[in-house]
Amino acid sequence: MWYKLTLPLVICFGVGVLAFVQEFVPHPWSAAFREEMTTWFRIMGGFGLFIGAYSLLHLHVTRIRRQQAGWGYSAFVFLGAALTIGAGVFEEVRAAVADVPAGAFSLFDWLYNYVQVPCQATIFSILAFFMASAAFRAFRARNVEAALLLAAALVVMFGRVPISEEVGRCLGSWDLFPKAADVLMEYPNMAAKRGIMLGISLGAISQSLRVLFGIERSYLGGGG
Amino acid sequence: MGTPEAQATLRRLAVARRVIYVLVAVAVLVPFVYPLPFRFRPSPWSEKVFKKVEALKPGSPILFSFDFDPSAMAELYPMSLALLRHCLQRDLHPIVMTHWQSGVGITKQIIEEAAKERGKQSGKDYVFLGFRAGGSNLVLNMGESLQGAFAKDFFKQPTEGMPALEGVRSLKDIPLVIDIAAGTAIEMWIAYGRDRFGFDLGAGCTAVIAPDLYPFLQSGQLVGVLGGLRGAADYEMLMKRPGSATKGMQAQSLTHVLIILLIVGANVHYLSRRLKGSTKG
Repeated sequence: MWYKLTLPLVICFGVGVLAFVQEFVPHPWSAAFREEMTTWFRIMGGFGLFIGAYSLLHLHVTRIRRQQAGWGYSAFVFLGAALTIGAGVFEEVRAAVADVPAGAFSLFDWLYNYVQVPCQATIFSILAFFMASAAFRAFRARNVEAALLLAAALVVMFGRVPISEEVGRCLGSWDLFPKAADVLMEYPNMAAKRGIMLGISLGAISQSLRVLFGIERSYLGGGG
Repeated sequence: MGTPEAQATLRRLAVARRVIYVLVAVAVLVPFVYPLPFRFRPSPWSEKVFKKVEALKPGSPILFSFDFDPSAMAELYPMSLALLRHCLQRDLHPIVMTHWQSGVGITKQIIEEAAKERGKQSGKDYVFLGFRAGGSNLVLNMGESLQGAFAKDFFKQPTEGMPALEGVRSLKDIPLVIDIAAGTAIEMWIAYGRDRFGFDLGAGCTAVIAPDLYPFLQSGQLVGVLGGLRGAADYEMLMKRPGSATKGMQAQSLTHVLIILLIVGANVHYLSRRLKGSTKG
C-alpha cells in the first residue's frame, strides 16, 4: 500500500510545503518554480476537461443501458456532443485543406449562436417567472427577523430600478430610494458578507492544513 | 393525498402561479410596445469604473476577462459591449480573454461587434486571446509572462511582437483590468491578480453577485463595480449612447414593482388571516 497511500501523501506534503514557502522567498529560483508549477496545473486542467467530458458521457451511457426514466434525454446528450465535435473537427480539417480566413464564420459558430445561445439564455430568463412566483408564495413576515428581511428586500428591489427615482422626484428627492438601498447594501449587507467570507477563508485554511498533513485523505479515494 | 382543505390550497396556489406568470410576461412586454422613458442617474460605483477607463491615455492596454456564458448574456452582453465601445472610442488597446470555455463564442461576438463599428483590427488595435484552462494558475502565469501564458491569440497569430501588445510583457504592465463575471472569477482576480501584480481592478457582474463585492469596494481592492443590467444601463448613460440595457431597465422597473406588489399583497392577506386566528404562525 506504500505507493497507494504513503507516496501520494508524501507528494502532497512536499509540493504543498514548497508552494507555501516559495511565496515568502524573493529569489529567481522561487519565481521559476512557481511558473513551472502553475504551468503544470494548467496542463492538468486541460486533462481535467477530458475527464469531465468522459465522466458526463459515461453517466449517460449508464442511463441509456439501464433505460432509466428519461433515458431519451441522455441519448440527446450524445446527439449534441456528436454534432458539436463533428462540426469542430470538420472546421479544423477544412481550415487545413482550404484557404479559410482566420475567425471566419463556421459551422461550429452556427451551432453555438443558434442552438447553445438561445437555449441557455431561455433557461436563465425563465428564472424571473419562478422567482416572482416563489417570492409571492414564500416571502412572509412570520416574525420580527423575517419582517426586517422583507422590508430590506423591498427597499433594495425598489431602489435599484429607475422608477424609484421618478417616485422620489414626486416626493421631492430623486435619490431617496436609491440612497436607502445603498445604505442597506453598504452597511448591513457588507458587514454580513465580510463575516461570511472570513468564516469561509478560515475554513479553507483549516481544510488545506488537514490535506497537507494527511489528516484529510478522501481525495485518495475509498472514503479514507 | 392530503385533506380536502390542503388539496384546495394546492389548487389555489397552482392557479396563482399561472396568473403570476402571465403578469410577469405582461410587465416584461409592455415597455417594448409602449416605451416608458424613466430618467435615472448612474450609480457612484458605475461612475468610478467609467472614470478609470476615461483616465487611461490613448494607446494604453486594458485587459478584459469576460467570464460568463450565454445564460448571463442579458445582463453582461450590453455591459461588455459598452465597455469595449468606450475603450475603442478612446483608442485604448483592449486585451480580451475568457476563463469560460462556453464563453468564447459570445466574447468573440462582442469584440467583433465593437471593433467593426470603429474599423479596428485584431492584433493591431485589440487582441482576442480566447480561452485557456487553469483559472487562478493562468492568472499567475500571466503575471509572470503574458506571451508565455498565451503564445498565440484566438486567431492563431503569435502574440510575441503583436503591435497591440507593445510594451506588455505581463500583468504588471497593464494599468487596468476589468473582469465581467457570472461566477466567482472576480474574487480570483483580486486574490491572484490585483493583490500580487498591483494593477487596478474593476468589475462587472450579474445582479445576484453584486452584494458579495461590497467588502472589496470598501477595502479599495475594486475600483468600482457595474452591477447587473442596471450597471450596464449606467454605463450606456455615461457613454451617452442608450442601448439594450437602458431599454431593459423599463421592463425591469415594472417587474420589480409587480413583485413588490405581489409580496405586499400576499403579506397583507397572510397577516389579516393571522389576526382573524384562522392560520397558525
